[in-house]
Amino acid sequence: MKRSTTLFAALILALAAVSLAFAAEGNARKGKYLYRQKCRSCHGVSASDLSPSSKTQAEWKKAFAKPEAIKCYKDWKGVTPEEKNDIFAYLHDFAKDSPSPAKCN
Amino acid sequence: MSSNISRRDFLRLAGMAATATAATAAQAALAPEARAAGAVTAPQWESKFGACDMCFNRCGLIARVERGVIKKLDPNPKFTKSRGMLCARGNAGVDQVYDPERIKTPMLRVGNRGEGKWKAIGWDEALDLAASKMKDIAAKYTRCGMLFSAGADTQSQFVHRFAEAFGSYNITSHESLCLLSGNRAFVDTFGDVPLPDVRSSKYVILAGANRMEALVTPDSMDLMTIMREGAKVVVLDPRYTKSAALASEWHAIKPGTDMAFMLALAHVIITEKLYDPKFVAERTSGLDQLAAHVAEMTPAWAEAETGIPAADILRMARELAAAAPAAMVYPGRRSSDYENSTQIRRSFAIVNALLGNWDRPGGLVPARPAGLKKVPFEPPFYDDNPPGRVDAKSVPLLFDDEGSFVITRENIIKGAPYPLKGWFVYKTNPMATAPDRRKTREMIDKLEFMVVVDIAMSDTAWMADLVLPAPSALERQDPVQALQAGAEGACLVWRDPVIPALHQSRPVFEILKTLSVKLGFPEAFDFDIPKYREMQLAALPEAAEILKRDGVYYPPNPPLGGTDGQPFKTPSTKIELYSNRYADLGLDPLPVYASPKASPDAGRKFRLVAGRSACVTQASSTNNALLSEFEPENTLWLNEESAKELGVKQGDVVQVESPAGKGELKALVTPKIRKDTVYMLSGFGTISGKLSHTTGVGASIVELMESRFDAICGNSAIHETFVSVKKKGAA
Repeated sequence: MKRSTTLFAALILALAAVSLAFAAEGNARKGKYLYRQKCRSCHGVSASDLSPSSKTQAEWKKAFAKPEAIKCYKDWKGVTPEEKNDIFAYLHDFAKDSPSPAKCN
Repeated sequence: MSSNISRRDFLRLAGMAATATAATAAQAALAPEARAAGAVTAPQWESKFGACDMCFNRCGLIARVERGVIKKLDPNPKFTKSRGMLCARGNAGVDQVYDPERIKTPMLRVGNRGEGKWKAIGWDEALDLAASKMKDIAAKYTRCGMLFSAGADTQSQFVHRFAEAFGSYNITSHESLCLLSGNRAFVDTFGDVPLPDVRSSKYVILAGANRMEALVTPDSMDLMTIMREGAKVVVLDPRYTKSAALASEWHAIKPGTDMAFMLALAHVIITEKLYDPKFVAERTSGLDQLAAHVAEMTPAWAEAETGIPAADILRMARELAAAAPAAMVYPGRRSSDYENSTQIRRSFAIVNALLGNWDRPGGLVPARPAGLKKVPFEPPFYDDNPPGRVDAKSVPLLFDDEGSFVITRENIIKGAPYPLKGWFVYKTNPMATAPDRRKTREMIDKLEFMVVVDIAMSDTAWMADLVLPAPSALERQDPVQALQAGAEGACLVWRDPVIPALHQSRPVFEILKTLSVKLGFPEAFDFDIPKYREMQLAALPEAAEILKRDGVYYPPNPPLGGTDGQPFKTPSTKIELYSNRYADLGLDPLPVYASPKASPDAGRKFRLVAGRSACVTQASSTNNALLSEFEPENTLWLNEESAKELGVKQGDVVQVESPAGKGELKALVTPKIRKDTVYMLSGFGTISGKLSHTTGVGASIVELMESRFDAICGNSAIHETFVSVKKKGAA
């Protein structure tokens, strides 16, 4: 879904100095695929359920601004920056307070 | 095989079902010997639980089966959502099973499209053909070259799953021809689509919703119950519907002016400070902007727009506020009326917010927890696919998982932004439910392959290349389905076959499972229905046994008020009277009223409106032999003064015409409709050669409706058409 590009641009500017994680706008559709492949092996199967609607857009932005602070970051080996971006786009675009909140299935 | 129930028997049984069973315990109802006491001859029937499929309500039922034949359907008294009742349509479900016109075998089109020349083929040939055509389309046009459309059915979730595994983003459901704009408005105001708790309400405004006739359980029954207990129900409708007749108060509002009425209610509630200041301060945002917005929208202003006297508007605003929070503007269901229908429903949502009725008895409550687990899978990603749906970005706030049928159709006709050439349809019937039938036909003519899975040969099936017979809901095993019933909580139902599937019919689940193997993604359907149910019920270990025993299961239902103090799922975390999302998107952040457009043609002076009768579920029920005795044809409701001016007498055949098309049907000359409005039932004037009760009978409403859609979410807008009416044979 549409997301506020201005906010997003502002976020990129704010983060540019410290991180290049948000170099380009991610592909949310690919992000959904990647989330299912790379995240759900823990989240949603053996760990507690986690889906885009678990957090607000602001919370996803905050989490992905500093992914190394996320509890399971050590398990993110093999996730490229581009893939991280796509996963972020999926989680953010379908967040709890997004125009189309989604549960992952 | 045919039903042995005569009309007289049916009427008798229908009456019995509505009155007798509520008091009967389920166990007794299920034991034939318990019913034998005092009876002349004990019925030799077995009793089996089911869930009705004659509309989307899916009421619990008990089928009485004698020597493998369903004799009768009774309500399941443990299914409290329907208050232990089964309506006339539910009773007539027997005839859906034994309809002699049902599709019996896979059918391949051998004549021109729509010509009705078919060849019966075997399942192997049919499924090989479907798989190879879908493969071809994917290779030529990418996987998004296939469109999948599924109706409101318990197995439709498998069509969505299949589409995703196949790799197409193009999925539509019945929703964008029905209720999406209402959902859009409530998501954008409350961050959620709430349910009305009618049972505890003291004051309900039904604006355009004909709820006592267009049945939604339990709301339809509860409206009657609460009126008996002293609650007030106000109906606004240009037509004197059954709901209008039964309500405390009816106002023949001018069509297209509901928003003016709602904004005037907001004006009174704000200027007279009739809202709960603590609730509004803590839980909503944008009161100041709203107050400024409605400052001039007095009841006198609204009277000029709606035709409802200012004194009545003022009184209703005060009565509504006095009853709050056990008061509501009923959110309604079908909201596919105007091009600004999302904004109209925003005005409904805003009045509810001012009543402080969120998560309160008698108000609007968040969906109750059902406890069902989703069944995960890992569909592949196809890099060659286009970036999005074929209707993507056509309107600012499309629901990505629903889309817009009207805009999808337009883009298929145009072949832009990319070609879409295949269509898989399951139990939905856009040829009879989408406005402007000629456009649907035009879209179908652009396709290279179209397959329809359905019980009956609908008008949409009649257009297909391949038609596959589905069993009715009484002949198949279904996954668990959660149903919501206001504050009372969710309930779960499932279906097991009451009789074995008739003819060569196969459930869509089996069809898709076979196709998933042929198309190379068997892992997406790596289960059968019992296993799927098990996964759905993983968190509810006792549910399966109770479902077997009672035909329904009630998961734990926490008390109302659980969301108190919690943030709303909106950008501001409050109920957005003023929508920040809309402001960001350049949309009106508050609903801006404009008088409805006048007819562009003086010759077309009547606005055409749609609605329902209690015996009609659009085109899916009008060919039912039992129901067609109640509604044998549709008529044009025409005001008696308008009829006099046109020289039309009761029962005359009239010719109705719009820019979309024309039709002929009998006039019902009546005082029960405004002079500027006409009405007819949908589901008649069909074209399929296998719908003998409706083909050539009455007129098709979708032949007359112009193709319009809501500007924010793409929901169809079917009250935007003006028609001319003249007596057949008149100059």
